[in-house]
Amino acid sequence: MPLEPQGSQVLAQDGNAMVLSMGPQHPSTHGVLQIMLEIEGESVVKAEPEIGYLHTGIEKSAENLFWTQAQTVIERMDYLAPESNSLCYALAVEKLLGITDRIPERAQQIRVIVAELTRIASHCVWLGTHGIDLGALSIFFYCFDLRENILDVQEAAGGARMHPNYVRIGGLQADLPDGHVERLDALLKKFPTRMRELRAILQKNPIWQDRTIDVGTVTPEQAVAWGLTGPALRASGIAYDVRKAFPYSGYENYKFDVPTRTEGDAYARFVVRLDEMEQSMRIVQQARDAMKAGPIMIDDAKIAPPPKEAIALSMEALIHHFKVVSEGIRVPPGDVYQAIESPRGELGYYVVSDGNNKPFRVRTRPPSLYNLQALKGIAPGNLIADLVVMIGSLDPVFGEVDR
Amino acid sequence: MDGSAIDPTVLRPPIEDAAIERIAPAELRTRLQALREDGYMMLLDLGAVDYPQRVPRFDVVYHLLKMPVAAATPDQIGTPQRYRLLCGVPIENLSLPTITDLWRNADWAEREVFDLFGITFEGHPDLRRIQMPTHWEGHPLRKDYPLRGPAKERSPRPPFANKSNLVAGTPPSGRTAEALQQQVALRQAQDRKEEPKA
Repeated sequence: MPLEPQGSQVLAQDGNAMVLSMGPQHPSTHGVLQIMLEIEGESVVKAEPEIGYLHTGIEKSAENLFWTQAQTVIERMDYLAPESNSLCYALAVEKLLGITDRIPERAQQIRVIVAELTRIASHCVWLGTHGIDLGALSIFFYCFDLRENILDVQEAAGGARMHPNYVRIGGLQADLPDGHVERLDALLKKFPTRMRELRAILQKNPIWQDRTIDVGTVTPEQAVAWGLTGPALRASGIAYDVRKAFPYSGYENYKFDVPTRTEGDAYARFVVRLDEMEQSMRIVQQARDAMKAGPIMIDDAKIAPPPKEAIALSMEALIHHFKVVSEGIRVPPGDVYQAIESPRGELGYYVVSDGNNKPFRVRTRPPSLYNLQALKGIAPGNLIADLVVMIGSLDPVFGEVDR
Repeated sequence: MDGSAIDPTVLRPPIEDAAIERIAPAELRTRLQALREDGYMMLLDLGAVDYPQRVPRFDVVYHLLKMPVAAATPDQIGTPQRYRLLCGVPIENLSLPTITDLWRNADWAEREVFDLFGITFEGHPDLRRIQMPTHWEGHPLRKDYPLRGPAKERSPRPPFANKSNLVAGTPPSGRTAEALQQQVALRQAQDRKEEPKA
């Protein structure tokens, strides 16, 4: 990046206003966000977020990898909820392949469990860092303890803590290991206690309420105009949830509520996310109870490599495995838009295929980008100290904003 | 040939993910305004695709969602309709009217399309690069832009890195093949000179 502050030319420098660059190394800007602020005393007159410090060209890289390989880089966009990215991408490619109805039921149930656990883990990071921003240090340890438990479960299934790449095109990478249901049960048992603690520490805490109530208020009109989705939209009273509106992976089979608030302030977004974590656990419980033994990958050697055991016995399986790995799968030409409810809102992929073994274009609809952009509308007129609360409550993830 | 190798969007697989419409740049604003009045209040996304062999070369894709602007329950939302508007942009006239006055969140999305594809939006209040550094040349998401970027943009490696790369036989990144050939020739000449001494 150039050394001169980028936004300075768009900010008027007259009267008592002062131009201040906040970030990109400011600890409370969650990663690498720079905000060019025009301030009068302590209050913000204009805020212009500058992004791009974490631009890694993932969309360009994806165009130069096989369909299956591209998933590896795509998973690194939203690094707090990696499985949301890979699930959404896999669903989009499955739509293009026309195999959406042929994904085994067990694979879909495990996908739901994985997606909901990753949502809770992501909200844990949000609450922990949001708490630190506001001076509530201890909440961080409660949240990261729970997150670590979830990551342990994720690691047991997918083999990695952060980016397991467990959801694959056509199903899952492998079945759940032995004793996984017991691990899930232990988590399900611990979760309500931990949630009670989180609520006890913060929800009725007068300091927390002072800092968040009536801060960064977004009206429903503003929320729609800025394209907010996810908890930020639902805190403004609009109960749009992709899981309800456009069910995928069998979400229509589970009973869960869409928590909403009407205040639209930082406190409302906080409560909505806490409620959402409880609903997620409810879904995990239902999916865990509904799980039955069965295949976890589509039985189509042109899309999924045959299982390892088959390779040792069948020449055909060996050839298919070799072709899928060395040449990649081919996806029929066309374009498709697929959206899922990621922890931050509607995550969408507009995928174009030209019939080759590599994606022609993978355009992401990053919820964080649009949520963060709303800061331009809601920050003016507030104090700088409240700006930190607003950034935290919008929960941007910069891997996704900059891609 | 169905032309799908040049433009995959001519083939419409039976996927019902949205209502789809292709439109000319001249009608873009009137159509979007009409859709907005029809209740498509949320602009979900705005992106672009580069089809190098097609005329017009670029597609700018608008994703809209029918959404109430007042508080609503999940039942009131139901299954909102999606709308996808594709607008071809020829390489000779890389310009579209802005829609930032209709949807404020088009701001960053249009800046991103400008940055990564080089399509300008007439009337945009602040059309600057957003992802790439301000002084960057070229538009990285175009298909003719090299994956690893132009070699001249990369910073020179320290001398020891060049040396070890030369020994390994791989070109040090940031250097052209010709420069490497020259260096190899120079090194070989040096070796030949040193040989009689040994």
